[in-house]
Amino acid sequence: MSFINNLINGISLGSVYAIIALGYTMVYGIAKMLNFAHGDIIMVGAYICFFVCSGAGLSPILGILAAVLVCTVLGIVIEQLAYKPLRQVTSLAVLITAIGVSYFLQNAAQLLWTSNPRIFPAIFGNGGVQLGGDLTIPYKTLVTIGACVIIMVALILFTGKTRTGKAMRACSEDKDAAQLMGININSTISLTFAIGSALAAIAGVLLCAAYPKLIPTTGSMPGIKAFTAAVFGGIGSIPGAFLGGILLGVIEIFSSAYLSTELANAIVFLVLIVILLVKPTGLLGKKISEKV
Amino acid sequence: MLKVDKINVYYEKIHAIKDVSFEVNPGEVVALIGANGAGKTTTLHTITGLIRPESGQITYSDGEGGQLDLTKMPPHKMVAKGLAHVPEGRRIFLQMTVLENLEMGAFCKGKASKEDLDNVFARFPRLEERKKQIAGTLSGGEQQMLAMGRALMSHPKLLMLDEPSMGLSPILVEQIFDIIAELHKSGTTILLVEQNAEMALQIADRAYVLESGHVVMTGTGAELAASEEIRKAYLGG
Ligand SMILES: Nc1ncnc2c1ncn2[C@@H]1O[C@H](COP(=O)(O)OP(=O)(O)OP(=O)(O)O)[C@@H](O)[C@H]1O
Ligand SMILES: [Mg+2]
Repeated sequence: MSFINNLINGISLGSVYAIIALGYTMVYGIAKMLNFAHGDIIMVGAYICFFVCSGAGLSPILGILAAVLVCTVLGIVIEQLAYKPLRQVTSLAVLITAIGVSYFLQNAAQLLWTSNPRIFPAIFGNGGVQLGGDLTIPYKTLVTIGACVIIMVALILFTGKTRTGKAMRACSEDKDAAQLMGININSTISLTFAIGSALAAIAGVLLCAAYPKLIPTTGSMPGIKAFTAAVFGGIGSIPGAFLGGILLGVIEIFSSAYLSTELANAIVFLVLIVILLVKPTGLLGKKISEKV
Repeated sequence: MLKVDKINVYYEKIHAIKDVSFEVNPGEVVALIGANGAGKTTTLHTITGLIRPESGQITYSDGEGGQLDLTKMPPHKMVAKGLAHVPEGRRIFLQMTVLENLEMGAFCKGKASKEDLDNVFARFPRLEERKKQIAGTLSGGEQQMLAMGRALMSHPKLLMLDEPSMGLSPILVEQIFDIIAELHKSGTTILLVEQNAEMALQIADRAYVLESGHVVMTGTGAELAASEEIRKAYLGG
């Protein structure tokens, strides 16, 4: 495969990571917790889309909408039932709970849908755009990259320009002060989980459009990678999650194309460690010291 | 306007506030003074619901009839009732711009109106010059101005200030107290927590002295400033 092809595949995979990482980073920013179940929401989204499209034979648009809807509700419910009661306890307890929720979702998926792999339909068709020579960009790749860019721009506008988005940033900085401004913390946290989970649903569909084998653990590895991407870019930062995701995807594809398929993941994490050694807050992470 | 009645507040086993009662009447400046760890901040946090008392009553009336039981009200609903709290250490949103901080101050009103912004900028011209600046890069004095400006955006009826003079140079302290006096003149009721007892007693109509969680003394600002005990304990002779 040509260099350009690898690059495009890397950006495409990276876009999926970026969309997941955006959810990770937003939830982390507001709830100050690593929602390890985030990856499994991806899997649920992919299954929902699979059943609507392949099972019921409805249009992919409906499949995506259903996935987004179910995951949004699921995200809110998980937050309310599992995380909200733990707001005042140590973050370690919350982390363990998140890991529990992750296993719960995987096991529930296994019970409901068995661990037999499903083959995700080619919902974006098999064609592509011919770019001269032997270079063809598949539609699914274009959709994935396009979706990622649109989502990032939308999130930047939302958090930067809207009243609700600014309130969200205020909450992520200082919950008590935000409450004193009249901001409802609970609904802000719910909204964040809703947005993060909706993004996870979209990521699930895009991921499976590119890698169609769907099993109950489909979301784990991309979830961990996206978490890595979020840290890579600077956790809490939206452009950081985007950049981190894209870089991670490109490094992964290049490592497996030119170095070693087996070691691709190890190389990804090696690069992460080196970057964090040089810049502990991640690529775009920043820390403003408080003045007294 | 605000009536705190025999509240008791605990941090786990630490009994931080013990049967504290006091009142703030409409139009007054009331000072709450006391040494480090006396429980001043805890008292304010209890009023705005960031901490809940184990027992006791806190009632607030916004002057439009109706008594509100603050111990049962979610903190985020209070600012819409005219209760603004400038917390200890300013607690501005450091990564947001000056303008965004002011917009958050007006969150309960919906959008920040141009008029309200102009009012704050008239009071604190520094903030207007720096409205696009990230708040974390402001100087300490500017941050205090921003914290007060942010609270003013909600049109408070009762403004609670927790150590507004903390860490400021004497000139800035004067300036901040001038602003408090102006706000008072324009009809805002003020509950002022201060370490700087001298300044606080000068400006206060009445004051309460808090000592390890108890109210140990109360009187007019002038009475307390003249009292032997207070002079010894808080005014350096
Ligand atoms: N979060 C907390 N956990 C446990 N104890 C606390 C907490 N916050 C305050 N305290 C304790 O409660 C007591 C009152 O503290 P508070 O902050 O109200 O004092 P203060 O009068 O505001 O003091 P300062 O002038 O130093 O700000 C102190 O003994 C303090 O150690
Ligand atoms: Mg204090």
